[in-house]
Amino acid sequence: MQFSKNWLRDFIDIDLSTEDICYQLTMAGIEVDSFENIKSKITGNDSIIKLDITPNRGDCFSVLGVARELAAINNVKFKLPKIQAIKSTFEDNISVNVCAEGPIYCGRTVRNFNMDSVSLPLIAERLRLSDQKLIDPVVDITNYILLEFGQPLHAFDRDKLTGDISVRLAKKKEHLTLLDDQELVLDDTCLVISDDKSAVAFAGIMGGKDTSVTPSTSSIFLESAYFKPSIIRGKARRFGFQTDASLRFERGIDYEIQEIALNRATSLLKETVGGEVSSIISASRAKELPKHKRINVDIERTNKILGTTISNSSAKKYFNSLGLSPENTKSGDISVLSPSWRYDINIEADLVEELARMEGYDSLPRESLSPVYKKQIQSNESHLRNSLVSQGFNEIVSYAFISKEDHNLFGQKQKTLDVANPLSQNMSVMRTNLASGLINTFLYNLNHGQENQRLFEIGNTFHTKNSKEVVEQKLVAGLISGRKQSDNWKDKSTEVTFYDLKGAVQDLLTDSNQISSLKNCNIDFLHPGMSSYIFCGKENVGFLGSIHPDILDKLGVKEDLFLFSIDVDKLSFDSFKSFKEFSKFPSSSRDLAFLINKEIDAFSVEKVIKGSAGEYYKRLEIFDVYEGKGVDDHKKSIALSITWQSNTKTLLDSDIDKAVEKIVNSVKKELGGELRV
Amino acid sequence: MDLNSLKKQISDISSRSKHVFDAASSKPELDDIYRSFLGKKGEVNILLKSLGSLPQDKRKDAGLLLNKLKEELESLYTSTSQTLIALVNSERLAKDSVDVTLPGFQSYKGSLHPVSQTIKEISDFFERMGFDIETGPEAEIDYYNFEALNVPKDHPAKDMHDTFYLSNSGLLRTHTSPVQIRTMEKSEPPHRIICPGKVYRKDSDLTHTPMFHQIEGLVVEKDASFAQLKGLLNDFLEDFFGEKVELRFRPSYFPFTEPSAEADIRWKKNWLEVLGCGMVHPNVLEGVGVDTKEYSGFAFGLGVERMAMLKYDIPDLRAFFENDLRFLKQF
Repeated sequence: MQFSKNWLRDFIDIDLSTEDICYQLTMAGIEVDSFENIKSKITGNDSIIKLDITPNRGDCFSVLGVARELAAINNVKFKLPKIQAIKSTFEDNISVNVCAEGPIYCGRTVRNFNMDSVSLPLIAERLRLSDQKLIDPVVDITNYILLEFGQPLHAFDRDKLTGDISVRLAKKKEHLTLLDDQELVLDDTCLVISDDKSAVAFAGIMGGKDTSVTPSTSSIFLESAYFKPSIIRGKARRFGFQTDASLRFERGIDYEIQEIALNRATSLLKETVGGEVSSIISASRAKELPKHKRINVDIERTNKILGTTISNSSAKKYFNSLGLSPENTKSGDISVLSPSWRYDINIEADLVEELARMEGYDSLPRESLSPVYKKQIQSNESHLRNSLVSQGFNEIVSYAFISKEDHNLFGQKQKTLDVANPLSQNMSVMRTNLASGLINTFLYNLNHGQENQRLFEIGNTFHTKNSKEVVEQKLVAGLISGRKQSDNWKDKSTEVTFYDLKGAVQDLLTDSNQISSLKNCNIDFLHPGMSSYIFCGKENVGFLGSIHPDILDKLGVKEDLFLFSIDVDKLSFDSFKSFKEFSKFPSSSRDLAFLINKEIDAFSVEKVIKGSAGEYYKRLEIFDVYEGKGVDDHKKSIALSITWQSNTKTLLDSDIDKAVEKIVNSVKKELGGELRV
Repeated sequence: MDLNSLKKQISDISSRSKHVFDAASSKPELDDIYRSFLGKKGEVNILLKSLGSLPQDKRKDAGLLLNKLKEELESLYTSTSQTLIALVNSERLAKDSVDVTLPGFQSYKGSLHPVSQTIKEISDFFERMGFDIETGPEAEIDYYNFEALNVPKDHPAKDMHDTFYLSNSGLLRTHTSPVQIRTMEKSEPPHRIICPGKVYRKDSDLTHTPMFHQIEGLVVEKDASFAQLKGLLNDFLEDFFGEKVELRFRPSYFPFTEPSAEADIRWKKNWLEVLGCGMVHPNVLEGVGVDTKEYSGFAFGLGVERMAMLKYDIPDLRAFFENDLRFLKQF
């Protein structure tokens, strides 16, 4: 809401600079968005103050409300502007009916006025400073009262109303065309103003087109009503809009101000356009109105919560200035009465806040919280982060919603959780893995001249079990592409391969429940011959591989991309490592090379060797795999270095010879491999 | 052999050795020479062995002479050896020098995303204060995101958050506050927790991204007070920024706290909003079965990107999600 600062003078007599006013309001919880000093021909040296009103303070959605707040802060008198007595000259025989949701309705008819007049200069100027367009003198005055008192008014063209007026719930599928030509189909959760024929206004939100005031209007029916916040809430929003009236009604307006506002409007109207005024026609249901609530506040408890030493008498002084009518109770508490304009005063905590506001939050004491010892455990997430960063990976954070197209490429046909109201189609599907974020980031950086990339992300993915239940899975995924090392002036580095990716994953899982095996996988966006699942024990914890050439083509990428993905919560890292004794005796190694069928993988060879290498077997390293010249077409040569070591003695050549013989025999028997000599 | 002939041989070796050692051009050559004199089959050893053929009374003198020769040769070897090593090293020094200004061979430098980095910095402080780190789902339901936090259906406070709704009739959490509720539901007070994580709001412009990160903090204890909240946040902000900060508290509104406050810090002359906080609303505590006569609580929430922008002087929020390596590698 924005308004002219000088307008406040109609209600309070204070001489404060705009800066001071804005500071006071800010520190009282009425946030000042901005202010601007201006010179106006009508209002003189003035300022435009723009406020951001929080939803709890609907009472400050008016100049009156802001002035009342300033009066409380400065402990000065607050008065309503003088309203000229209205002399009614005729009776309109229209009658009004109210209902539980709209318990106060009053109005009057004004006729034979001059629609050609223009709004009073002060009204016009104040509206202009409030950024309100001038429409016609009637609408201008309703807008003026809305800003001044926070009471939304509505003017109907009297001649277009048929019969009597009722406040009622809309019928199912009831149609109503609003002032701004919106055609709404309402239901019985919406409140309308209706004449005998049809709905004529969306109550508390906007008037109907058929009964609206036009330049040819000569007689109006002016409405001032109170509707329950609960019936207005969410209604305009349901149709995708919001009005100055709905904003106020849904936060709650003062339920004791309807007639005052109507009189104020009528008096200004008479002054502007003249005309004859009918007496007020009104109806109300007292039982349905909000009640002034008695609330007790324990000052001792308040002081404990705030850390203050507010006395009973100063608490009462504060409550008095806020219009809360405090009284002492027998138990020593203070009892207050919630005013008709404050919907946010319901329980003791609300009064604690009022006292804190009046004391000034800034002057409340400060006390350090004592630390409490807690055992700290490093999370999997931070373990993975540290490890990947030390391997030269750069962490990225990408949006958790992706495009349908990206899901089709990388989502493996999983059912998705969709965003019902996405910001754009590119952000309409919740990701089921982290591939698209990494690949899109890779493409972005490639286009910005970065060829060598090592990226990773840790984030949640979303999986729907049935139509309702969502399971979130936390993944760590990484991508490598480009050269192994950054180029230098001496050596040119080679391009990364599958084995660089695998090595990175092995390093990453060094301290965890280690990779137990890799099995070829059928993930459709990976190269079928260059991809595998990662198993830790019996559990499938993720996958790694090269992106499928078809996908690379689709993305227009010429570079090879390698990607891994691991389920974070399936890993467990040793939080404490225990020292393992190592042998003091020398180790012995032998290099062996076998000719075996191409299809036999290294894992099988290792398994056979480990199984036959005897009790002193220590480790095995593959140092060469060769296919080509000198080796049969369907064969490959695999060269390994095997190491033996005992914890209790120095091994003899004969020990090793025996082990080698066993290995050679097993490889021959189980894999058909020949020792290459 | 007699003593005189031995003496002659000794002086012969002594005078010859000088030239021979001097002529050595490398350490191995020098070692060969050394062995030819002092090795097992060296000249000196041969003479030593011949001592037995001397008359008894001459042996002592002869032994002394031979030992003197031995010492002489040893010292000659040591000095020549040192000269040779110095020569070799100086040649190596002359040959091996590099251009120290050429670049070194570096490996790729990894980096943490500034959001992770900031969450870590913030978490470190609160962990030292005895806070546990809790997390919760990002795909939430209305109950945890709004209702349990004292935001009834259709309440205008919902306007403060533009919510993304999901096809399963759930929603993407608009703040990390649901984790408060989930934590209080599953365990008894006292509580000291922080909840870092992603949150989502349907908003996108220069200063808003549809996804960002928040850290929520909650303390529920017997005497949790507003004064402690102020003290804690002040200590936290000074720890985070590493210097004294000017901090002010002003009233605000959150449905789940009462009193509610916003904390501003003085930043290059202006006051800048950095976090929201307050005493936990009794409705929230009672909703999860906490006895409000016994316990009180305070909560606070802050935007991670906002804090990172201030600390690292990042001008544009959108940089966090562009993931430009030229940006990421700076952290």
